[in-house]
Amino acid sequence: MRKFVALSLFAAFALGFVAAPAHARRAADPAQAPVPPGDHDLTLRAMHDEMQRSRTRLSLSGVEKPFYIEYRLLDLDVRAVTASFGALVSSTVSRSRYMKVDVRVGDYHLDSSNFVSEDGFQGFLGPTGQVGIDRDYNSLRQDLWLATDQAYKGAVTQMSLKQAFLRSLTKPPEIDDFSQAPPLVKIDPRIEPDWTSRNWDDEAREASSVWKKFPQLYGTRLNYYLIYVTSYLMNSEGTTIRESHTLAAVEAALDTQADDGMPLHNFYATYAATPSGLPGPSALSKALAQAAAELLIFRSSPLVPDYTGPVLFDAPAAASLLAQALEPSLSGARPPLSMTQDYDAFIERLGGRSEWSGRVGTRVLPASVSLVDDPTLKEFQGQPLLGGYDIDDEGVLAQRVSLVEDGFLRRLLMSRRPGPDFENSNGHARSALLSDSEPLSSNLIFSSSDELKPADLRKKFLDACRDDGQQWCLEVKQMDNPALAAIHREDFSNFVGTLGGGLSNGARMPLFVYKVYASDGHEEPVRGGTIDGLTLRSLRNLLGAGNDSTVYTYMQNTSDSLAGTALGAFGSAQNGIPSTVIAPSLLLDEVDVRGFHGEPRRLPLVSSPPLQ
Amino acid sequence: MNRQPRYKSVATGLALLAAAWTCLAANRPPEPATPAVLTAMQDELDRSMAVLSKADPAAYFISYTVADRQYIQVSGSNGALLSSTQNRARWLEVQTRVGSYQLDNTHKLPDRPPSWTSPGNTVALDDDIPVLRREIWRETDRQYRAASQALIKVKTSQQVQVQTAEGAAPDFSREQPHTFIGPRVQIHVDPKPWEERVRKYTAAFSKSPSVLNSIVTFTALGMNQYQANTEGTKLAFGQVHYRLELYVQSKAPDGMDITRYSNFDWLDPKNAPDDRTVFQSIQKLIQETQELDNAPLVDPYAGPALLTGRAAAVFFHEVFGHRAEGFRQKDITEGQTFTSKIGEKILPDFISIKDDPTEASLGGQMLLGHYAYDDEGVPAQDVELVDHGVLKTFLMSRSPLNAIPHSNGHGRRQLGYVPVARQGNLIVSSSKTMTDAQLRMRLIELVKQEHLPYGLLIDDIEGGFTFTGRAQPQAFQVTPLVVYRVFADGRPDQMVRGVNIVGTPLVSLTKIVATGDKEEIFNGYCGAESGSVPVAAVAPAILISEMEFAKKETSTDRPPILPPPAHDPEAREQQP
Repeated sequence: MRKFVALSLFAAFALGFVAAPAHARRAADPAQAPVPPGDHDLTLRAMHDEMQRSRTRLSLSGVEKPFYIEYRLLDLDVRAVTASFGALVSSTVSRSRYMKVDVRVGDYHLDSSNFVSEDGFQGFLGPTGQVGIDRDYNSLRQDLWLATDQAYKGAVTQMSLKQAFLRSLTKPPEIDDFSQAPPLVKIDPRIEPDWTSRNWDDEAREASSVWKKFPQLYGTRLNYYLIYVTSYLMNSEGTTIRESHTLAAVEAALDTQADDGMPLHNFYATYAATPSGLPGPSALSKALAQAAAELLIFRSSPLVPDYTGPVLFDAPAAASLLAQALEPSLSGARPPLSMTQDYDAFIERLGGRSEWSGRVGTRVLPASVSLVDDPTLKEFQGQPLLGGYDIDDEGVLAQRVSLVEDGFLRRLLMSRRPGPDFENSNGHARSALLSDSEPLSSNLIFSSSDELKPADLRKKFLDACRDDGQQWCLEVKQMDNPALAAIHREDFSNFVGTLGGGLSNGARMPLFVYKVYASDGHEEPVRGGTIDGLTLRSLRNLLGAGNDSTVYTYMQNTSDSLAGTALGAFGSAQNGIPSTVIAPSLLLDEVDVRGFHGEPRRLPLVSSPPLQ
Repeated sequence: MNRQPRYKSVATGLALLAAAWTCLAANRPPEPATPAVLTAMQDELDRSMAVLSKADPAAYFISYTVADRQYIQVSGSNGALLSSTQNRARWLEVQTRVGSYQLDNTHKLPDRPPSWTSPGNTVALDDDIPVLRREIWRETDRQYRAASQALIKVKTSQQVQVQTAEGAAPDFSREQPHTFIGPRVQIHVDPKPWEERVRKYTAAFSKSPSVLNSIVTFTALGMNQYQANTEGTKLAFGQVHYRLELYVQSKAPDGMDITRYSNFDWLDPKNAPDDRTVFQSIQKLIQETQELDNAPLVDPYAGPALLTGRAAAVFFHEVFGHRAEGFRQKDITEGQTFTSKIGEKILPDFISIKDDPTEASLGGQMLLGHYAYDDEGVPAQDVELVDHGVLKTFLMSRSPLNAIPHSNGHGRRQLGYVPVARQGNLIVSSSKTMTDAQLRMRLIELVKQEHLPYGLLIDDIEGGFTFTGRAQPQAFQVTPLVVYRVFADGRPDQMVRGVNIVGTPLVSLTKIVATGDKEEIFNGYCGAESGSVPVAAVAPAILISEMEFAKKETSTDRPPILPPPAHDPEAREQQP
């Protein structure tokens, strides 16, 4: 598992995006969609013509023809800049186009998808790959032609393996493989990248130079990712979509070691819909200095003792916790049929098993709690929401989904893969870098009907603490995100190693923890704890929620099957899908926190060199 | 040797860690100022050694390497631009050895597979000495800690394991320090004209319906390397290299994958191939592709074979060169074909072989395996491996053998791997030469003597793989890409496909009966334990009295169901 996860950090640039406002319309007929005048992009035309040829003429003798063909293309323009302590580490500009072709044989009830096997078609080029960036006609047709051929042969092979496997089951699943969805046509103007508006290299140098004032820091990284994406989707049902999106991110990591040898880190992240929305160097250096100062406070703080009792999660920490605990249970799609038990075991280990599938209509959360996922929401209390979109990655209109109402499970997030509870998509199929789409959250809103003012929630916390007979209780101000905090390749692997198999049992990593004394409410930073056993069910021990809901923006990690697992909450703009959780501070009862029991790493024998 | 460009995968960028270059620095007057990277290295080297040499366990050797790599890469496929990228990165590698030259943390343990990859990190591009020093300090601590842990395992194992004779050779050789500060090199290339060229070249391939996929890639690489170690070596040298690669894929009617490849390498921008030269190469590849598509499959065959110079060069690289790499003689899991054969005759006495990375070109043509210093800071040396058929020595890195205590400047690696002994420019020469026409006549004579209907002429070889491990048979298999039947009865030559050359090295090498009178150069990348490194192989054509050919594994994936869109009468009308 270690290797598996470590690889994810090296996944190539993936996309994140923010929907550009535009109107979608239902396709009157699945004929070729018009491109605005003056637009020299021949992509849709090439897709359309090769799609038509494949629909009408692609067939192997004696074998069924495809019943569904889907083309996806992704144009990615990425500007990435990294700096450390005021010096530039890398600065790149890239433009690339990726292609993915999906061909299915069978029918909507039983098709060649939703099946994991070790065997399969070994083609010479495969149905995916990097293709030409000229938006020309001829090269794209050539690439689509070969990819469609490979995808069709793959589907035929997969179908026969799947049918053989189904015959071996005493009771084959009755749920359909694929649901119907009305075709959509939406062609937006392309947004072209502009890298010249700001000098990103100099901004990175300037902002990160503030760290030179903190010689106790061992290592630092400040990363800018500016991403322009144009995505194309066309399927044989008549859907034709071209959309452009942008995302801008600043992600920073810094680390050090406490005097007793414990490795410590901190991270900082801010996201904006466009590059111009990112903070300038002076605002950013203030934030980076603060991140450094926070880290150094914890560097000299005492260790967290083992603890069981009430814990107050500040709003950002609560949101991160919810992303980890809730996400695996939001999907209503059934898992793929698998010939390999390893697959199920792997997902299980990562805390990826849904606790809500098959439980619609039952109480799953406290009666005060409601949960909504709304990709159509553009802002919350004036703050833009980056998790939204108009049309999902299967070409289905985004819909607001009311998941939990007054504690009762009502709906689940659906893609076009049906599940035991629901059949049709509600526009939640999401993917990064043309990975397989799966139902994922967008803007997830957790709300409580009896919200308390922060002062009242704190009072309740201290009361609970005293009632529990404790001198002090713990408050978590921020949760860790190892995908952002890992400077070195091995750091993320170490983190996953630390959590070990605990993910499925609710192991969580807090970053900043404080002891809060019941007597007078004063705070004292402590370091090094792990939360144990905090699963979805623990949310039933909710003692109270604040009225301080805030927007927590994060990138869902979709590499290596992590999406929809507890680790899916840890991504970066490099490989993630922009998402938000809107949540208030939460007071939970009976939380287990385990102090640091590991072997501390000894301090460097050679003292650190001067930074100035 | 692996000459296949990677398929257009998402991971292409990562694969580019491979580096190729040729040294220009050695011929220029040294720059007076010490580069900032070297200054930072020296500061940290002094500080670290002062402390770590007295620590427990004590470090006895520390080395720092920074590879400052600038590249421009322009790639096209099927008539369109695939990517056009420019990048520069500095990669730091720290080696901290604890214990002693005789026994240190790198000692190979029977129950622990060796680690071929080497840790490292990207570091600042700006010449900010305090920031560079901090990165070096961090990595030194990391590597010292890893080395300390590894040494404990080595010492434990020493107490319980039986030691072999070669296992008792020292783990590391002590070498003379070298100082060289050359000027910094840079590449100046406008990518725009190359973007047009790769479009044009790949569009030309698309004119043939046989070509399913084409990729043309231009790469300009400027590499500045900095090395410093506690023995006193201090190096800064730069190298540039330009390369154009043409690659096409096809499928024979029975599904067999057909690939053709050709490459141009040059050092000076003015020596870039012109359009005419490239188009000639494209036409040749198209023609070969079409011929191969329609060529008959050949049955397994054993008999005389003639290898052209380029094919012979690859053959020697695979069959002899890899077995002459010193570290294989030390490893008890290796077959050690030649380990005990120094001073013995292993080839016909008219053949001599050397590996000479000090030469940048031969007869006006670039040699890709040239370098001035190897990746362990040792100057490249011209090593005579075989003198008139007699094996003289092995290619050596700083991992010594009992009989060969020092490096001969062949410790090489791709960035991110640990250096081992590798080939540079493998040069085969012969004192028994014939003209091409005479060689061909001799081939036909041999065929007739054996009462065979035909012999085989191998014009191009795709590296393939060589087993050198002890657990596998001591066999090699190389895949000839272009093979002709040469008939005894004088019929014209016929192209065939679907065979691999198989055999055992000791036998095959002794069956060389004659060689051609012209040397041919093969430039390529060789993938082995220490990653992919640029190499050249030079050889005359060789005639082998008996060579064995086996059927090649073929793909079950048939050619595409529909015709190419550009060659489909129904689809063509749609073109805008």
